[in-house]
Amino acid sequence: MSSEIYFDKDQELFRQTVRRFVEREINPHVEEWEAARCFDGRKLFKQMGDLGFLGVSYPEEYGGAGLDYWYNVVLAEEVGRADCGGVPMAIAVHTDMATPALAEFGSEELKQRFLAPAIAGDMIAAIAVSEPDAGSDVAAIRTRAVRDGDEYVINGSKMWITNGTQADFITLLARTGDEGGFRGMSLIIVPTDTPGFHVSRKLEKLGNHSSDTALLSFDDVRVPVANRIGEEGMGFMLQMQQFQKERLVGAIMGNAGAEKVIRMTINYCRERKTFGQPLIDNQWIHFKLCELLTEVEALRQLTYHCTRLLVAGHDITRDVSMAKLKAGRLAREVADTCLQFHGGMGYVEEYPMARYFRDARLLSIGGGADEIMLGIIAKYEDMLPRRRK
Amino acid sequence: MHAVVCVKQVPEQNSVKINSDTTIDASGITPIINLFDEYAIEEALQWAEKNDGKVTVISLGPDDATDSLKKALAMGANEAILINDDSLGQVGAQGAAKVVAAAIQKLGDVNIVFCGKQSTDDETGQFGPALARFLGWPQLTYVFKVHELTDSQIVVDRALEDTLETVEASLPVVITAVKDLNEPRYPSLLKIRKVSKQPIPTWTLSDLGLSADSLGGTINIAKRTPPPPRPSGEILSGDVQTQVKELVQKLIESQIL
Ligand SMILES: Cc1cc2nc3c(=O)[nH]c(=O)nc-3n(C[C@H](O)[C@H](O)[C@H](O)COP(=O)(O)OP(=O)(O)OC[C@H]3O[C@@H](n4cnc5c(N)ncnc54)[C@H](O)[C@@H]3O)c2cc1C
Repeated sequence: MSSEIYFDKDQELFRQTVRRFVEREINPHVEEWEAARCFDGRKLFKQMGDLGFLGVSYPEEYGGAGLDYWYNVVLAEEVGRADCGGVPMAIAVHTDMATPALAEFGSEELKQRFLAPAIAGDMIAAIAVSEPDAGSDVAAIRTRAVRDGDEYVINGSKMWITNGTQADFITLLARTGDEGGFRGMSLIIVPTDTPGFHVSRKLEKLGNHSSDTALLSFDDVRVPVANRIGEEGMGFMLQMQQFQKERLVGAIMGNAGAEKVIRMTINYCRERKTFGQPLIDNQWIHFKLCELLTEVEALRQLTYHCTRLLVAGHDITRDVSMAKLKAGRLAREVADTCLQFHGGMGYVEEYPMARYFRDARLLSIGGGADEIMLGIIAKYEDMLPRRRK
Repeated sequence: MHAVVCVKQVPEQNSVKINSDTTIDASGITPIINLFDEYAIEEALQWAEKNDGKVTVISLGPDDATDSLKKALAMGANEAILINDDSLGQVGAQGAAKVVAAAIQKLGDVNIVFCGKQSTDDETGQFGPALARFLGWPQLTYVFKVHELTDSQIVVDRALEDTLETVEASLPVVITAVKDLNEPRYPSLLKIRKVSKQPIPTWTLSDLGLSADSLGGTINIAKRTPPPPRPSGEILSGDVQTQVKELVQKLIESQIL
């Protein structure tokens, strides 16, 4: 791809820098971090913060670079090429999932206390929306933040929280009012050293082993009302907005990872011989790989289209839901096909293929499952059945 | 302290493809800073920071070599100069060294020059030594560690075949860096943006008071031939006992044991 059509020289130099950073500071540690079921967030985020990687499009007042979202695209594409899915996910949670609402709607004091250190890599962020009984159905969450003078008293639990064991603060979605459904929720910043906050369990997972995922509990956790992001009761709306960036970065990283694995498979099929010829010489195999590359190219364009919309200030909900849906589906297809072409080598841990197969499966579930994306698209296309009275 | 680092832009090695007629396929070549020059930049930056000095990077090359100069600026160099002239297209290492020496003399107050030990494209290893000669300065090649550097003197370790040599020299001096002299830093995003609009002046031969015919002969690659294929190895047969015996015998015969 002639990427200079899309990216200027500064962005290309940034790309080169991130690529090298991933090769030198992430990939050599992947085996160790996967085995430990946790990456070294303290060290990695500090390194990234020092280089300005964690605040690409955040305002300069808080240590960000104040650039447009195309720089985030470069970052996500390069980080997405890392040798595992866990670390890219953990980084994306910090930069594009737990902090966008804080940056856009947080008070000055809140931004100084949490956004600035997150951008510097001195604090690790997590986003806590999902609960044991509410994942896809965000409106069903039960964690409560009850007002007591100028404090909120928080009770409840949050499930599958990425960076959950390492985070310094949690961007928490909780009920602050008695209205049901999507009303009466707020986004609140909870420092993890607040009494009553506990990591109940670190969860063992199918894949993304280098990322720590936790079940969190809140027992009479008291935080100042000033820790709320935006107006009381606006949490659901802010979170829905925040989800759009989460989905875009997920699609971009997913696509970059898929392309890397396809190219790795092409190389493998060139080397591996069966029946006296390289695997790649079989039309079934090279046709199939070309089809996958075509899908990757098409999805890349959809993510670029979403970025263009975002930078121009348009609502990206419909288009980014399509991109996230496609990315999840494609990751599954790439994982399955490429593992098949690797044969037994795909099934053993000597080779990165098996890890990709495990890690790729998440994209169709996390950040909103495929079916949730379809529901959003259907809503925007006005295809949802009318509610009967 | 005013340090100059000589930076060459070269093709990233695994981006170079050879056509079937052994010419080089120019499409898809990714230009990068010569590997050894990155260590030279990092070392210059570290000592300039310690000595409150400044670093100027110089590249002789085509206009797009400014990409590498921009990267050096983003790493922390203070100034960059491109030397480009139509008549420099085929210049050899000696000629290039003469031109860069003239640029360093034009700068005036330079007291140390850092180069890579060689470039990863032409691999002549001549540039640094030739530059020292044209400047009339001492040269410290294959520098593996810099122990001390002040405005008047330098102490380094040179990595030779099987010894490390500790050498002291007075400034001005030219040093050439080997791999792993340090860990070159990453340019930060803020720096990349900051130097984005920093102008990089281009000096031509006439700016340096030189003419094309004063640069000596040019070098052309007349032919490229791939090395002959390696003879295939020998596979021993028989049970393990005989194989090992035969192997040991062969190792003794070829004086490896
Ligand atoms: C590794 C990992 C990391 C995560 N990190 C975070 C995090 O940092 N923060 C956070 O808040 N959450 C996180 N999550 C949670 C994630 O967002 C949820 O798992 C996801 O939203 C799905 O919710 P659920 O698991 O409750 O599935 P459910 O809601 O129970 O749905 C199960 C399945 O049913 C189907 N389905 C659901 N609704 C519909 C429908 N309306 N129509 C048709 N089909 C439907 C879908 O296929 C879905 O996968 C993470 C999850 C994992 C696995």
